[in-house]
Formats: sequence, structure tokens, C-alpha cells
Amino acid sequence: MTEIKSLRDLPARHLLGAGTPMCGGCGGLEALHQVYDLLGEKTVFVNAAGCMTLLAVYPFTPFRGSWLYTAMASAPAGAQGVRDALDILRGQGRITPEEDLQVVVLTGDGSAYGMGLAATSGAMDRGLDFLYLCYDNEGYGNTGQQYSAATPHGAHTATSRGALGYPGYKKDLFSIWAAHRPAYVATVSPAHPVDLARKIETARTRQGPRLVIALSPCPTGWDYDPAETVAIGKLAVECGAWPLKEYRDGRVEHTRVPKKRRPVVEYLERQGRFRHLFHPVRQDALLAEIQARVDGYWAGATATGD
Amino acid sequence: MYRIRFHGRGGQGMKTASRIIGTALFLAGYEVQDAPRYGAERRGAPIFAYVRADRRSINERGVIDRPDLVAVADDSLVALPAAGVRQGIDSHTVLLLHGRTPGAAWQERLNLAGPVFTLAPAAHVEAGHASAARVVGAVARLLGVVDRDTLIAAIRRELAGLGDSELAANTRDALAAYDELADQHGAVAEGGAVVSRDFLPPRWIELGLDVAALAAPAIHAPATSTAVQTGLWRTVRPVIDHARCNRCWWLCSTFCPESAIAVGGDRVPVIDYDHCKGCLVCVTQCPTHAIDVEPEEEGTPEGGRS
Ligand SMILES: Cc1ncc(C[n+]2csc(CCOP(=O)(O)OP(=O)(O)O)c2C)c(N)n1
Ligand code: SF4
Ligand code: SF4
Ligand code: SF4
Ligand SMILES: [Mg+2]
Repeated sequence: MTEIKSLRDLPARHLLGAGTPMCGGCGGLEALHQVYDLLGEKTVFVNAAGCMTLLAVYPFTPFRGSWLYTAMASAPAGAQGVRDALDILRGQGRITPEEDLQVVVLTGDGSAYGMGLAATSGAMDRGLDFLYLCYDNEGYGNTGQQYSAATPHGAHTATSRGALGYPGYKKDLFSIWAAHRPAYVATVSPAHPVDLARKIETARTRQGPRLVIALSPCPTGWDYDPAETVAIGKLAVECGAWPLKEYRDGRVEHTRVPKKRRPVVEYLERQGRFRHLFHPVRQDALLAEIQARVDGYWAGATATGD
Repeated sequence: MYRIRFHGRGGQGMKTASRIIGTALFLAGYEVQDAPRYGAERRGAPIFAYVRADRRSINERGVIDRPDLVAVADDSLVALPAAGVRQGIDSHTVLLLHGRTPGAAWQERLNLAGPVFTLAPAAHVEAGHASAARVVGAVARLLGVVDRDTLIAAIRRELAGLGDSELAANTRDALAAYDELADQHGAVAEGGAVVSRDFLPPRWIELGLDVAALAAPAIHAPATSTAVQTGLWRTVRPVIDHARCNRCWWLCSTFCPESAIAVGGDRVPVIDYDHCKGCLVCVTQCPTHAIDVEPEEEGTPEGGRS
């Protein structure tokens, strides 16, 4: 594959089959199709329970290769088994190096940030050669958008219905993963397909644990018109709430630093899950706190020269 | 016993409509069963919910197949076999359709002996979404056993969590429809008891026990999901004006979550209407505004081969 410099270098052929049961306008599906176009057919997906489990419901699958379903906490363990099996087949000469497969873990944030974190940590400890794609829709989408450890502060969820929304803070999974010093960690956004493609290319060509989190706007759980999926994804980056960055060889680098960050309220007010911060009364203190956290993040990031 | 079935698309609020009617009948002194039914489908896909209500205890279970009243939020569903709107309708069944086509036209088209009432979309109601409140009001009126105050109380019980303005708007829409159908007060008659001997015995097929290699749900072809026509979910369709399309670097195709826009070697984008779900992400992202939005033809049964 040539180096990806602009949109014209992105694949024009789409490998992921249409006809999936994901909601119209699903940001997670948008991320998956962009990633799959680049990874290609020689992949095996290990998928923890979540919205994407419904992708492959017998006899239908959008994939061109194998797919394995695991419990929410166990996808990286499943990936270990698949990798081991492939290694044995290779060792015995039963498959050629060309026939080998890329093992891809696919989970939501509920697994990645919560139930599956210990299994992921273990897989990184063991240096498992796999790629982890987390589509982060900031909640338990499949079961009706309950909060997860990825839910942002103040968002309304099915289990955060108070006047000020979710009282917790979104976990910094990127840093937790990077602290294990794996081969690669990145954040991506399907609203920024060139940045996403560069990072998937990097991940694809490295060995060892490679982990990617895709912010995946979810019209159903975030409560906005499905047509807005890309616009909201772009705003998340432009307001600084979703920093695009990568970790490799011991260093973190921001791949896109918004020159002038848009106010976070522009991102929040387009989503029904934050409506209570604006109506019936504007929660100025909470909005200021959310903005201050984003500003604080970037002050720290710029200070360390990223 | 009243047996009522509600049909709509995911996101149109028919699950909530059935809950409100169930609660209203409960407040009116009935024993009530109320259950939504949806499979792996998401927003836009056909769903249904049903309510049973009786003065005596209800021993029936499961999906209603002999409805006394069928209420449909979106009349484009009538022509879709997958939606099952016409399932079990006979001459005693009242059909309530939200849409612009008059009831007599439906009676003729579908060769129906029973009454068909239509509920025109209110001017302020945008396509689909807020139709549920009007359907609730109309159903209450057609049943004839839910008075105004009970209807208001049931809506309050179910929607209080949405805040005062949503509650007021839904109550207003429901009462308007309740008043519009005043002439049809009590048009629905309770169906009689159903006894087990009236049910046709299932036609069992004998399946022998196969070895795992045959019986396991292995899929032997790539991307079989394309056999599923998610184009049926669409209520509006994106149409590319090739005069205005400047054949940019397939932005629409990269952003389409469904992989439903193909770009050939000539760089001309083509929408796959068998699978496009009508999310309109492509419309919002086309840099030359070359993609128009057209309403889906009323009752177009196919995914819309144009
Ligand atoms: C151990 C366990 N608990 C609960 C569930 C029920 N469940 C299925 S999917 C899901 C939500 C998963 O959330 P996430 O990983 O964020 O994926 P999303 O649904 O958002 O795609 C839950 C709670 C389960 N399958 N396993
Ligand atoms: S709930 Fe959200 S993440 Fe799940 S399929 Fe729907 S849009 Fe996608
Ligand atoms: S409306 Fe556009 S973006 Fe959405 S599914 Fe259809 S072709 Fe794809
Ligand atoms: S995004 Fe617009 S201009 Fe670009 S290929 Fe699609 S229709 Fe044409
Ligand atoms: Mg999630």
C-alpha cells in the first residue's frame, strides 16, 4: 500500500458487506468499514458482546473471513487462542506465511474501558500479536445506552438521569494502554478518514499488541439526527474533546492539534444527551467545568511538546 | 379481550405508544399485557409492539395474531411483507394508518372488508418521529373505553421523565387526534376468547442430528449480509445529481457507514438502494451539495430500484 497523504489515497473499494443490522448513521460501523478496507480480507475478528455482535448473525456476515464471538470480558483471551492456533498451523507447515491472518479484537467501550480491561492488560503483558479496535460510543449501546467507563462527564444515559447527567469522568484508556508500552496505541475518528487510515496502516505493519480507539458517534445513544454523524465527529476533534494522537516507541504524539479550538458547547449542544445542560436552565458551572478540563488537557499536552 | 398491535419503524415511538395505551387501559381497570417485539434491527427498521387488555385475567401469551386493532405509525410499512402489518387481519379488525392516503383507497388496494381509518400527519409533525402521540390519541378514541383524563394520566406516567415541554407537546398532539376521531368512538370491538383447538398445528419438519461439521453455523461465502435488503428501512432517499457531482475523492463513499456508495474507475459514485438506510450522512458531507433528498415513494415495496 502506498503512503496515505490525502483522500485520493484511500481505498475506493469497500470490503465490508452492506445489509448489517446497525442503526442508520452508525459511527461505529463507519469506522469499521474504513478500517476493514485497509486491513483486507486476511483477518479474523474476535468480537465481544455489544452492538457489533449483531453484525454476524447466521447465515449473514458482512466479513469476508472468520468471526468469533466472545463474552464481554474475554475478547483478548479469545484472540490469544486464535493467534496460538495460527502459530501452530504455521509451525506445522499447514498454512503458508501468506495464508496467515491478522487477529483483530473488535469491542465496544463497555468491554475495552471496563469488563475487558484486565484481559487486554494480560494480552499486552504477553506481547500478543494482535490489533484491538475499540469503537467508543461512550456507553452500553446495545442494551440501551447505560453508562460505561467511557461516558463523558455530564452526559445523560439510561442510568444517569439526574439533572447533571453522568457524575463520573471518562477514563483515560489511551494512557492506560500506553503505560503497558505495547507496539502501538492510537485514537482515531471516522470523521477524519485520512488520519485514521495512516494510523491503521502503521498498526497493520507493526508486530505485537496494537490498540486503536475510534470515537464513534451514535445517533441512537447520543440522541441526534443520523445525518449529523460526521459533523459531530469532526466537532469532537475541533473542540479538543477527542484528541487525535498516537503512542509508539515510548512517545506520545498528537497527529492533529486544532489551531483554534471551537468552544466545547458547540459540540455538546448538538446532542440530545447533553440537552439538560442547556434546558430548561443552562448549567453554566458544569459547562465551564467541562471546558476547563479540555483546556487543561491541551495546556498539559502542549507543555510536554506533543 | 382487546388485542391491539402497533407497527412502526425503530425510533418512531411505537413501543412507547403501546406502553401508554397499556397504562391507560390499566388505569381504566383492565388487566393488561404490553410487550415490544424487535429483533436485531435498529432505528428505521420495522418493529411492532402489542397490548392485550381484559376485565378478566389473561391467559394468552405471545404475539397477537388475531388483532382487533392494528395501529401503524408509518403507512409505508403496509406494503412490506417483513413488517407483518396485515398478519391475521380479518373483517372485524380495525386498521388505523398514519399517513395521507385515504382509508377507502387502502380498503380497495388491500381488498379489506374491515374499517380503515387514516390519521393525517399534523402540520408541525416532522416525518415519522412525533406521529406516535397522534396514534396514541386515535387508538384511545377508537377503543372507546379510555376517557380524556385517563389518557392524560397515562401519558404523564410514561413521559414525565422527558420534561414538561415534551410532555405538554405529546399530550396536546394525542388529545388533538382523540378529538379528530370523535365520530369513531368505540369503533373497535373486543375479540372473543381464543381456544387452543382453533390454532393450526405446526408443520414440524424432522431434522436428524448432524455431525458438528455440518450442523455448526459455518458460513461458506463472503459478505452474505448483502442478501439483507436494509434499503427497506429508508423513509427518504439520497439521489446524486451527476451534473453537480464533481467526482471528488469519493467523500460520500468513504463516509457512508453502510458501504452503500460504490465508486468505479470513472470515479462516478453510485448508491446501492437495496442497502442504503437513508441516514443522509452522504448528503451532509458532499462538498458540492450534489446529493438531493427525496421522500421514499409511498409503499414502494422493494428497496427502491429506481
Ligand atoms: C458479562 C456481561 N454482562 C452484560 C452483558 C449484556 N450486554 C450485552 S452488550 C452490552 C453492552 C456492551 O457495551 P459496549 O461494549 O460499549 O458495546 P456497544 O453495545 O456500545 O456496542 C451488555 C451490557 C453481557 N453480554 N455480558
Ligand atoms: S446503538 Fe449506536 S453504536 Fe449501536 S448500532 Fe446503533 S448507532 Fe451504532
Ligand atoms: S443515505 Fe447516504 S450515507 Fe446513508 S446509507 Fe444511504 S448512501 Fe449511505
Ligand atoms: S461527495 Fe459529492 S462530489 Fe464527491 S463523489 Fe460524492 S456526490 Fe460527487
Ligand atoms: Mg459502547
